[in-house]
Amino acid sequence: MKANPQIDELLCSFIDGELPLRQQTEVQRLVARDAEVARRLRQLQNCKNLVNALPAEPAPIDMLEQVKRSLERRTLLGDHAAPTVSRAGARHLKIRRFVAAAAMIALMGGLGAVVYQIVAPVAPGEAGRPAADMSRSIQVIPNTLPDAPAPVVVAGQGFSGRLELRTASLTQADAFIKAAIEDNGLKGFAEVQTLADRRVYRIECRREGLDRLVADLGTIWKNFDSATLVVDTDRFADPVVIKPVTVRQVAQIVNQDSAETSVQMARGAAVLNRFAQAMPGREILSESEDTTTMMIATPEIPRPRLASNDPATKAIPAPPQGGVQTTMTIVLLNTQ
Amino acid sequence: MPLSAASINIDDSVLVQRSQSGDLEAMERLILKYQGRIYNVILKISGNSDDTAELTQETFVKVIESIDKFKGRSSFYTWVFRIAVNLTLNYCQRNAKMATRSLDAEDNESDSQARQGLKEFLSDDSAADPAVLAQRRELCDLAKQALLRLEEPQRTVMVLRDIEGMNYAEIADVLNIELGTVRSRLSRARSHLREILEAMQK
Repeated sequence: MKANPQIDELLCSFIDGELPLRQQTEVQRLVARDAEVARRLRQLQNCKNLVNALPAEPAPIDMLEQVKRSLERRTLLGDHAAPTVSRAGARHLKIRRFVAAAAMIALMGGLGAVVYQIVAPVAPGEAGRPAADMSRSIQVIPNTLPDAPAPVVVAGQGFSGRLELRTASLTQADAFIKAAIEDNGLKGFAEVQTLADRRVYRIECRREGLDRLVADLGTIWKNFDSATLVVDTDRFADPVVIKPVTVRQVAQIVNQDSAETSVQMARGAAVLNRFAQAMPGREILSESEDTTTMMIATPEIPRPRLASNDPATKAIPAPPQGGVQTTMTIVLLNTQ
Repeated sequence: MPLSAASINIDDSVLVQRSQSGDLEAMERLILKYQGRIYNVILKISGNSDDTAELTQETFVKVIESIDKFKGRSSFYTWVFRIAVNLTLNYCQRNAKMATRSLDAEDNESDSQARQGLKEFLSDDSAADPAVLAQRRELCDLAKQALLRLEEPQRTVMVLRDIEGMNYAEIADVLNIELGTVRSRLSRARSHLREILEAMQK
C-alpha cells in the first residue's frame, strides 16, 4: 500500500489515542474492512514501538553537583547574560574584527618605532629614564627624591610591582582571588589584608606561581572596572604605570627573567596602550592584546581550573624556592 | 539528609513556588525529578553522548536563572522541556556537519547480522512488543541511527511522543507549534523512519 499522508495521520493519531471517540470507531471499522489499512497501522505501530524500546540512558549521578558548580562559576564571573550577549554581538563581531585588523596594520608601524626605542642604545646620562619622546607615552610617577640612587638589581630577582583592580563585586572577586591563591599553592607565600573598601594581597613567590595566578585572574578580568599595573615599585625610583593594562600584558611582564626586562616590557606595553587608545574605537585595546605577542614570546597562560571536576587538577604543589623570585601586591578596590 | 528521586512526591507547582522564594532544596528536588528524563530526551535528539551532560547542565542552570520569570502560563514540565529542546536544537544546528560525518561512519559499521534482524522486523506484519524489541540490541542500535537520520523537527516530535510520552498538546506547548502541525509532523516522522529502516536493510 502506498503511503497516504491523510490516512497515516489518522492512523498515528489513533495509535496515540489522540482521536475523539467517534473517529476512533471509524478507524476501527476501516481497519476491520481493509487489510492494507490494517497492515499500515501495524507498520506505524511497530515504528512507534521500536523507538519506544530504545533503552533510556541514566543521567550522570553528579548532575546536581555539576549544575551547582556551573552556577557558582557563572555567578563569580558575572556572565549570566553571556550567551544572549554573545548572540547579539555575533553580527557585530565580524565588523569589529575587520576594524581591528585594519587598526593592527596601523599599529604595526607604531610598534616598530616602540621596539626601536626600547632596544636602541641609550646615552649614559639617560640611563634608567625613558627616552625623551617616550616620556609623553609613559606615565611616570614624579620622583620625590631629587638624587635617587641607581636601581640595584638582585641576582635572580624578577618582576616586582603592584596590580590595582577596581570592581563593583568586591566580595566575589575577593573570594575568587583567595581561592586562586590557595589553588595555586601560594597560600604560604601570600599576606592578605582586609579593609573596608579594599583587599590587599602581597605575594612573594617564584615566577611560575605568579604566572598561574595571573592566568586565573584572566578568567574574571572582564569583571574589573579598571586595571592598572605599577611595575617595580619596590626598587626603582620611577615606576612605570600601565593604565589600563590587559591580563596578557600582565602575564608577559611577570614572565620576564629579570626586573629590568620586566620594566622594559612594561614601558613597551604602556606605549602600546597609548597607541591603542589613540585609535578610533577604544575597543581596539582588547583586540590588540594579541599584538603584544609580536614584541616577545607570549607566556603560555594555563586554562582556568575553576570549572574542573577533577580534584587532581586542584592539587597544585607549592612552588619550590629558588629560581626567579617575584613580588606582586594586588590591591582590589571597591567601586561601589 | 541526602535527596533522592524516590523521596520526591511534592507537586511541581509547590516546588516551583518555593524555588521562586529562594528555597534551594525545592529547586534541587525539581532537578532530581527531571534530570533523567531531560538527559534522555537531549541524548536522543542530539545523538551525542559527550555533550548531552553539558546540555542538561545548561538547561538546569537556565531554569534556575529564569525561575523568577516563570509565570505558570504553561506547566513547569513543558517549560523545562522547552528550554532543553531549544538548547539542543541550537546545538544540533551548530554541529550539523559533524553529526552527518558521524552518521556516515556508523552506517559503515552496521554488520550483516543487524541488517538481517532489521529485515525480519520489517517483514513481520504482526505488532511487535516494545519489551521484546528492547532485548534486541542490534535492532535498537539501527533504530538509533535511523532516528538520527530524521530531520530535527521530525526527530524532536518523535522523541517527545514515543520516548518521553508527551501528549500532542504538551508537544505543541513545548515546541510552540499548532496541534495540527504536531499531528502531521509525527505522522511524517513515523512514515519516514520506516523508509529509512527499509533503506538500511538493503
